[in-house]
Amino acid sequence: MITLQHYLVVSAALFSLGILGVLTRRNAVNVLMSIELILNSANVNLVAFSRFGPGGLQGQLFAVFVIVIAAAEVAVGLAIVLTLYRLRRSPNLDEADILKG
Amino acid sequence: MQQVWKDVSLLWPELALTIGLLLVVLVDSSGAKARDGMSRLLTVASLAAAFVFCIQLQAQAPSSLVFSGMLVVDPLAIAFRAILAAASLLVALIFTFKNSRELHGLGQGEFYALLLALTLSNMLLASSNDMVMLYLSLEMVSITSYVMVAYMKGDRMSNEASLKYVLFGAVATGSMVYGLSLLYGLSGATAIPKVQEFLASGVTDQNRLAIYAISLLIFAGFGFKVAAVPFHFWCPDVYQGAPTPVTALLSVAPKAAGFAIMLRFFYRGFAVAGTGPWDLAGAIDWPSVLMVISALTMTVGNIAALTQTNMKRLLAYSSIAHAGYLMMGVVALSLNGARALIVYLVTYLAMNLGAFLVVTLIHGQEGTFDLRDYAGMSRRAPLLTLAMAIFLLSLVGIPPFVGFMGKLYVFAAVIEKGPTYVWYAVVGALNAAIGAYYYFRVLKTMVIDPEEGQKPVLAIAPVDLAWVGAFALANFVPIFFWGAIEGWARASLVLWAGR
Repeated sequence: MITLQHYLVVSAALFSLGILGVLTRRNAVNVLMSIELILNSANVNLVAFSRFGPGGLQGQLFAVFVIVIAAAEVAVGLAIVLTLYRLRRSPNLDEADILKG
Repeated sequence: MQQVWKDVSLLWPELALTIGLLLVVLVDSSGAKARDGMSRLLTVASLAAAFVFCIQLQAQAPSSLVFSGMLVVDPLAIAFRAILAAASLLVALIFTFKNSRELHGLGQGEFYALLLALTLSNMLLASSNDMVMLYLSLEMVSITSYVMVAYMKGDRMSNEASLKYVLFGAVATGSMVYGLSLLYGLSGATAIPKVQEFLASGVTDQNRLAIYAISLLIFAGFGFKVAAVPFHFWCPDVYQGAPTPVTALLSVAPKAAGFAIMLRFFYRGFAVAGTGPWDLAGAIDWPSVLMVISALTMTVGNIAALTQTNMKRLLAYSSIAHAGYLMMGVVALSLNGARALIVYLVTYLAMNLGAFLVVTLIHGQEGTFDLRDYAGMSRRAPLLTLAMAIFLLSLVGIPPFVGFMGKLYVFAAVIEKGPTYVWYAVVGALNAAIGAYYYFRVLKTMVIDPEEGQKPVLAIAPVDLAWVGAFALANFVPIFFWGAIEGWARASLVLWAGR
């Protein structure tokens, strides 16, 4: 029997993996992928709470909006990675270092 | 149907912006010769209309939920919407496009469309009453500002700033939505007032720990929007890399919207309304957590600003410090705190946009943001220097200028909370003193420092000088009509408190 706890553990693991990926990856595209993990951990939570909790369908509705926003965010993120790649021929974040101080 | 019309009549400002936005997109893609001028006209007109509608709505003082509780229209939300419309209107009128050397030769229609979308989402954020709406509008603000920051396509700095903004913002708002999902699970509803009902109905000790963790996760999103420590790292880079008109707007508008929603979220979700100070719902003591964050924010902002030589970067750190002062209004957990926040934001609009206007005009002539190139400005542009002196003194918080009134209100709101808050006010006062150092350093460079060689006098167009003058006047004339501003701020202090 899969209970709410199982879903929460999975989503917590996804969230932690996402944060870990953001902190350790050099490649901007990989960081964007890790961000997707973070957003999907929230989605798992929302849908699980909607199924098992007192919240009704609001959680599933919220999850749909999160998916839409995630797509929009990644579209803008990738566009910016691409323009920056055209300008300096590297997707690596540690080379984006002209702004500091 | 009648309900829909009633709801729509409370959202005229947003409707004006939406119509303006669609028209700008249409006009820009029409390929007509006069499309740049037309999109500018449409933008200014719809922003002005939104501002006027806000003022009109405020006179009616409505207080109700709109669209099944997704948005709330109450005098507090309307006050913030008016501030947001005014900020965008000023940026559209004065900063773009003629005055910005950085935006030269770039498409104008898209910029105005983004500006309108940013204003619209800021307004929605300021009046959100539901976690779904909160998250949606927060992300809409973020995504439009990412694109605006990267507006200089061929410029590495602009793109790098935007990339940092995207990655940082996505993680912060991702953490926030994770926190929101957990809060939804606990309280069983996405409406913010329902969260308060849940908290007020009694919280077990286990849940209390969870709610602390959740509120920190959610604060990541708000902290990112207002650039509070430790979510401020994007701020200096983005402010420096973005085109100056965008920087000027970002330094005021998303901050105002962020504080509006922070106020609403914590007051309507995590506190129980009272006539004087409010109570904490479920004994979740968030003000002391926010107090530490706010004290850190102003200290880090001010200390990092001490050594900056790039004007945009310096003003970025200064805006971080001001976010710290502004947060005092949220921490005070009373209606006086909310009033302080509104007054501070209005004064901050006048002083910060003014300072950015001077920076933009000097860049337009000289092509530099470096503080060292400001040496001798008192000879080369005496009027600009005088105006800059007024803006900087206002930012410090010296009495004849409005910046002082903002600081007075936030400090007063904190001190009236009692002796446990005194250390906090002392930290704020010490920070104002540290802040004075770097603002005066800019002034010293402009007035005293010797210039290299005899550079020509700056030729600033009379209309721009008039705008600078208007901003300068806005920094001390309101002191003489303070009763009106005080009355306006007091009338705005109604939070919708039904169910």
